[in-house]
Amino acid sequence: MSIIANENTRVVILGGQAGINAAKRMGEFCHLVQKPFYVEAFVYPPDAGKTADIQVGGQMVAVPIYKTLDDATKSHPAVNTALIYIGANRAAQAAIEAMDNKNITSISMITEGVPERDAKLMIKKAKDTGKALNGPSAIGIMSAGKCRLGVIGGEYNNLILSKLYRPGSFGVLTKSGGLSNEIMWIISQFADGISTAIGIGGDAYPVSDFVTYLEMFEKDPETKAVVIVGEMGGNLEEAAAVWYGAKPRRIKLIGIVAGFCQEALPKGMKFGHAGAKEGAHGEGSARGKADALKKAGAIVPDTFGALGPAIKKVYEDLKATGQAVKAVDVAPSELPQLPRKVEEYVKAGEVVVEPLFKSTISDDRGDEPLYCGYAASELINEGYDIPHIIGLLWNKRLPTPKEAELIKRIIMLSADHGPSVSGAFGTILAACAGINLPQAVAAGMIMIGPRFGGAVTDAAIWFDYGLKNFPNDIPGFLTYMKKEVGPVPGIGHRVKSLRNPDKRVQEIISFVRKEKLTTPHLDYALRVAEVTTAKKDTLILNVDGTIGCVLLDMGYPVESLNGFFMLARTIGFIGHWIDQKRNNGRLIRMFNYLVNFAVTPKRPVPKLEKK
Amino acid sequence: MAKLLEGPAMGLFQKWGMRTPHHLVISGVEQLETLAAANPWMKDCKMVAKAHEALGGRFKLGLVKVGLDLEGVKKATKEILVREVEGMKINQVIVAEMIDHDEEYYLAVKSVRDGAEILMAKFGGIEVESNWDKVVRTTVPVGEKSSNKQLIELAEKAGFSGPLAEKMAAFAHSLFDCYDNEDGQYIEINPLVADKKTKELVALDAVTLLDGDARFRHADWNFTFASEFGRAYTESERQIMEIDSRVKGSVKLIEIPGGEVALLPAGGGASVFYSDAVIRLGGSIANYSEYSGDPPGWAVEALTEKVCGLPGIKNIIVGGAIANFTDVKVTFQGIIAGFRKAKAEGKLNGVKIWVRRGGPNEAIGLAAMRELKNEGFDIEVFDRYTPLTDIVNMALGK
Repeated sequence: MSIIANENTRVVILGGQAGINAAKRMGEFCHLVQKPFYVEAFVYPPDAGKTADIQVGGQMVAVPIYKTLDDATKSHPAVNTALIYIGANRAAQAAIEAMDNKNITSISMITEGVPERDAKLMIKKAKDTGKALNGPSAIGIMSAGKCRLGVIGGEYNNLILSKLYRPGSFGVLTKSGGLSNEIMWIISQFADGISTAIGIGGDAYPVSDFVTYLEMFEKDPETKAVVIVGEMGGNLEEAAAVWYGAKPRRIKLIGIVAGFCQEALPKGMKFGHAGAKEGAHGEGSARGKADALKKAGAIVPDTFGALGPAIKKVYEDLKATGQAVKAVDVAPSELPQLPRKVEEYVKAGEVVVEPLFKSTISDDRGDEPLYCGYAASELINEGYDIPHIIGLLWNKRLPTPKEAELIKRIIMLSADHGPSVSGAFGTILAACAGINLPQAVAAGMIMIGPRFGGAVTDAAIWFDYGLKNFPNDIPGFLTYMKKEVGPVPGIGHRVKSLRNPDKRVQEIISFVRKEKLTTPHLDYALRVAEVTTAKKDTLILNVDGTIGCVLLDMGYPVESLNGFFMLARTIGFIGHWIDQKRNNGRLIRMFNYLVNFAVTPKRPVPKLEKK
Repeated sequence: MAKLLEGPAMGLFQKWGMRTPHHLVISGVEQLETLAAANPWMKDCKMVAKAHEALGGRFKLGLVKVGLDLEGVKKATKEILVREVEGMKINQVIVAEMIDHDEEYYLAVKSVRDGAEILMAKFGGIEVESNWDKVVRTTVPVGEKSSNKQLIELAEKAGFSGPLAEKMAAFAHSLFDCYDNEDGQYIEINPLVADKKTKELVALDAVTLLDGDARFRHADWNFTFASEFGRAYTESERQIMEIDSRVKGSVKLIEIPGGEVALLPAGGGASVFYSDAVIRLGGSIANYSEYSGDPPGWAVEALTEKVCGLPGIKNIIVGGAIANFTDVKVTFQGIIAGFRKAKAEGKLNGVKIWVRRGGPNEAIGLAAMRELKNEGFDIEVFDRYTPLTDIVNMALGK
């Protein structure tokens, strides 16, 4: 046997995520004791009609969610227990509805911060309906080997360590949730474990009091002794003492009370649980409670540390008189293990997984991102800059200071080129059509290609080809290009010319010359431009060609080169989008006079031939 | 439980039809001239000026001045507002009219498990404590109202008769309404007096405790609650309360000056056993603290910093039972971060840290604590196999 929670308990949980978390812990317990899952339904109106999927062993159990408790108990007539995981402002109403439901006989409420007035109304309702309500602020109820209501008992390994997979001889009653777990552990170490443990909650007015449960334990032949953990405030311990002393009881009672420190502290200083408060006239002190329990014949150790040995002594007596039979323990290795997650198997090296892909540049599995092994914060503190991050993530090495400066200049020079070029215009069109930032920037981005911005990579490819195959034969290179490829990418500009040179190109060239960087590709490209400008003065080395060459000279992979233009120009695109938003730019429609309507004039539609 | 200062408490009394003296709460002496122009009683009546703070023994501290006219109030306010008590500034003064009276009475409502008790006596002030057995009482069951008949009988039992008995019953009725509708826990009017001029009953002073958990259904509670232990909250206590009010779970701090053992335990239950253990062994605690309900790491970190900053501490007890759902790893990460910050600020010199804990992710959390040894912390770490409060014995060398 056991009390309240047993093999016949079937549960509905009222509440959302906290209730689901509790159900998961209950699923773990079912797996430990190898019994079917007993949470049959949830009540949570926002998710009514869906299911909550709870892992029980290796299985996912789909538990239906209902709008009302009545709906749930109609569909699940075996449900007899409600767990309340609802906020303090609605918890009492839910509890009263649950007590009105004829199928529900037992309720446990975890909700903390329930007003005392509401708790007292629940006490009255419980009395009127004869139902058992545990809580508020109650961690739950654990009947070892049979049923767990709520998260009491904690994580799986603790269930095993505290031998909660099989019943013992001791009942437990505590106000504190954490201490209920501690006492279960102590009893498993010093005696044969628990029958049922109940956290009644630390509020001023727990709906079910110690005496309610002591009477149940007294009638439960499996329970031979009960450990009560009390604390200052209220009179539940005194009432328990009165009950215990009123007539000879079958169960042994061990009591311990917290709050002796109150005697040495400033008056009115309130510690611990909401209910832990002495009355204005000294009633409810820890000493008064401990004395009352002692007087009634309970065993009351002086300190918490003495509790274990006191329990041990009671257990030895129970064994000596044949009341407690030694419980059969199971070695932890013999008990069902909680199925592990794939990650844990991988970590333990017990399974081989074929990776989906390989990544070589960054890693965010630790506290902060590592770029090629360098922590981002350390790079910042060391004074590194954005070009270094680009160097690490695109080229897997830190650029030299000169290279970093060059990268910075390339980005600064390419950040924008006014609103009229294809990319910016694309972004502006989108912005004025009310399109959001990421999509509008993407609209500019898709313009980057052979005719706009995207010549950087192509220019690099072909100047590299020329340098390798026609190192000293520029005319030969140009002939090859004309025949096999077309215009040389990176050569030529719509408006700039020898007489009207591109300032950006001059800037980059003067920098690499001043810094004496070795630039074989750039040198080659300039020699090509010498020949082409002799033919037509707009066939200069343009900015794409210049950038492509110097980046190649720095060792950047060819595939990465368009990235510099994209990265830089993204700054401009974002600027244009923000600008249009601020201006409240209106929808752009092309003017008819800017379109050459080279169309067929209006004419009659021919009759559709019928079959 | 939450205590109200006199100002807001009198406001509630008036809301429920109980007479209180005319009164005003001020924070500067310059406000008095304008207020006096709008409140004729300030010219007509003798007044009392009191520090409007959660302080015990205000009379002894010289923070109550009686029998004042307007000039006297100004002088008293000036004097009170520059005072500091235990390092805390007095921010407000309550000015109230003095009610001329002959007799003092006692009236209280107290929440009990089965309903409410109404207590009454035909004496008041300091006589109540010494004549506690002569205070009469009646019970109102949960969900019911006090009846007029019941209250008249109570008043007669207390020794009132005639119209005064009826007035006492009516006042008790209003007090019960106030208690019942405002989620009261304990409201004690002492003294309740009959005004010599008007013959009406007036509540002169009161202790008003409301249920802070019911705040969600009282949109008009525009007051903050005062501390209940005879002093105002410290800045650190306020900061932790503010964090406590907005996180999942709870973090708590009460400072106790002069203590040598700082407490940083988990759980509302275990924390009290830790306090008991320290005091039982002759130690003194520097604070009461507690975290529970799986609070976020940063909240525990903030609490840890405050605990490390307590003056004169020699030991810190990071105790706790075996948690049900508080993540030991996450909460310990918060504590560790707090320790590191404190150490970097030069705190924790000569302070020994004692850890005992179990619960979800206990192995990871305890291992992380043990690592602190390598960083030069004086720390001892124990797991579930060491009984709960043994670390206190070790800390105190007992």
